[in-house]
Amino acid sequence: MLEYEEIVNFIQKSCWMLDEEDFDGFLSLCSKDFQYKITAFSPELNKEMIWMDEDYEGLKNLLGMVPEHLTRLGKFTRHVTIGQTLRGNEEIIIKSSFIAVHTDLNGKSNIFGVGRYNDKIISRDKGVFLLSREAHLETRDLGIGSHVPI
Amino acid sequence: MNYENTIASKRKSSLPDTHFVNGSVYTNKAIFQKEKEKIFFHTWHFICHESEVLRKYDFRTISFLGQPLIIIRGGDNKIRSFLNVCSHRGAKIIHAPSGNSKKLTCFYHLWSYNDRGDCISIPRENGYDNSNLKKNLCGLTELKTDVFMGMVFISFNEKIMPLNDFIGDSLSSFKNTLCSGKLEVFHYSKSTIKSNWKAWQETNLDLYHEWMHVLLRRTQINAGSMKDRKVQIMPNGHAVVGGLKAKYGSYKGINDRKTTKALPGLSSEDFFFVDLFPNFAILARGTAIRIDVVTPIDENTSLVEWRGLGIKDEDPKDRRLRWKHHNQYWGPFGRNVPEDAFAAEACGEGFINSASRYQIIAREENGTGQDDGMLRAWYKEWSKLTNVNINKP
Ligand code: FES
Ligand SMILES: [Fe+2]
Repeated sequence: MLEYEEIVNFIQKSCWMLDEEDFDGFLSLCSKDFQYKITAFSPELNKEMIWMDEDYEGLKNLLGMVPEHLTRLGKFTRHVTIGQTLRGNEEIIIKSSFIAVHTDLNGKSNIFGVGRYNDKIISRDKGVFLLSREAHLETRDLGIGSHVPI
Repeated sequence: MNYENTIASKRKSSLPDTHFVNGSVYTNKAIFQKEKEKIFFHTWHFICHESEVLRKYDFRTISFLGQPLIIIRGGDNKIRSFLNVCSHRGAKIIHAPSGNSKKLTCFYHLWSYNDRGDCISIPRENGYDNSNLKKNLCGLTELKTDVFMGMVFISFNEKIMPLNDFIGDSLSSFKNTLCSGKLEVFHYSKSTIKSNWKAWQETNLDLYHEWMHVLLRRTQINAGSMKDRKVQIMPNGHAVVGGLKAKYGSYKGINDRKTTKALPGLSSEDFFFVDLFPNFAILARGTAIRIDVVTPIDENTSLVEWRGLGIKDEDPKDRRLRWKHHNQYWGPFGRNVPEDAFAAEACGEGFINSASRYQIIAREENGTGQDDGMLRAWYKEWSKLTNVNINKP
């Protein structure tokens, strides 16, 4: 059984790897049946929306293409606060709040988006893996947007 | 201008007048004022899709150049739009972005209006007897509103030409799709970008910039479909671009869409689009449609709104796939739209303090390939309406 401290370290690691754009590192934390989603609710349409929806392979391919894209310059920093952990038989559901701050090349930081992560992780012989992550955004005006998962 | 730029001047003098746009066209406050008056408060503008006000008394509130608007479907099924400001003390009445209500009641002193904008109740009304205030003159200000292929357009100009005449045949390539009665908006997002509104619209007019998008290099340019492109310049500043097919499988991470459910009237590899003057673009990719509109907040800041159209009441599995198709290109985390927004902001940085003096719109490829003809035609219409010369403003 995973200790709470291990859970915190794992979630923090997953965010720091995305912060550093260490996509291989991030993918190494994901199980092969990983599902990633970015969602948001539109009060204009009164509908839930899915803004990004990829499985492990899809995400791997898209992340592999990021260096070829014209991406937002600077760096994201994901500030995560774990709110709840719910332990099932094998899986643990972790609900966290996040604030993603973007710092531009001049060192100026701005809030990019706020929301919640809904993560599912599993501890296997070979280590801890992310089974799924849903990043639900409250922020819907994302300026020029982004090519990378939040 | 604080300093001379002789290199830029020399380059400019080699070009025909129609083939460059002076930088102050993007930054000058007086020109921006003219644009508001002669373009935005003059002509027709897309405001929402009819599916956003599907049932009787459904409403949407939208801010258009700082004017709070409410668009409501009346009990008679007609879609009307009004200034969303109370006739009493001017408060914005409805604050929710969408909803359903037979009666629009102002929160402040509870004056109420019906679906036709009539003022229907004033609490303690007899307090106005002495001053002779007439309730029938207290209705909301109605704007000209019309629907074309399911898209709701408004105009602040009572004398504007009919919407049918304004659009003409420009949207005929979308007819079978948009008139199928099967579409609804399933995606909505908006962004504030730091640039003049025209810099965004130019991303929809500038065919040459496909090189910027690795996704388009792979699925369109390298896929060899560029030669099939047809551009038609239409009346009133509109333009139609068709003929391209996309090879989605050529980009790692985007699946082939051959076997997937295309929208009515489309095949899954179709890619074409129409720009309506001044600020509207509609793009079809077999399985999803994107509509975007850009409106200025001020001369250096713009609001871009994106809508995705898909099939109404479709199976959740199909919807999920459609979201994916739409958003892999056009979502806020898509492969394409963030790059366009980056480009619009980068041009903003060039122009805002005149480091860049003008931009070149001089490509000629017989109206096909990556010709700048769409940009030139757009600016011709812009000049006609504003009476501003694009190179000697
Ligand atoms: S301002 Fe609306 S009722 Fe007074
Ligand atoms: Fe583009």
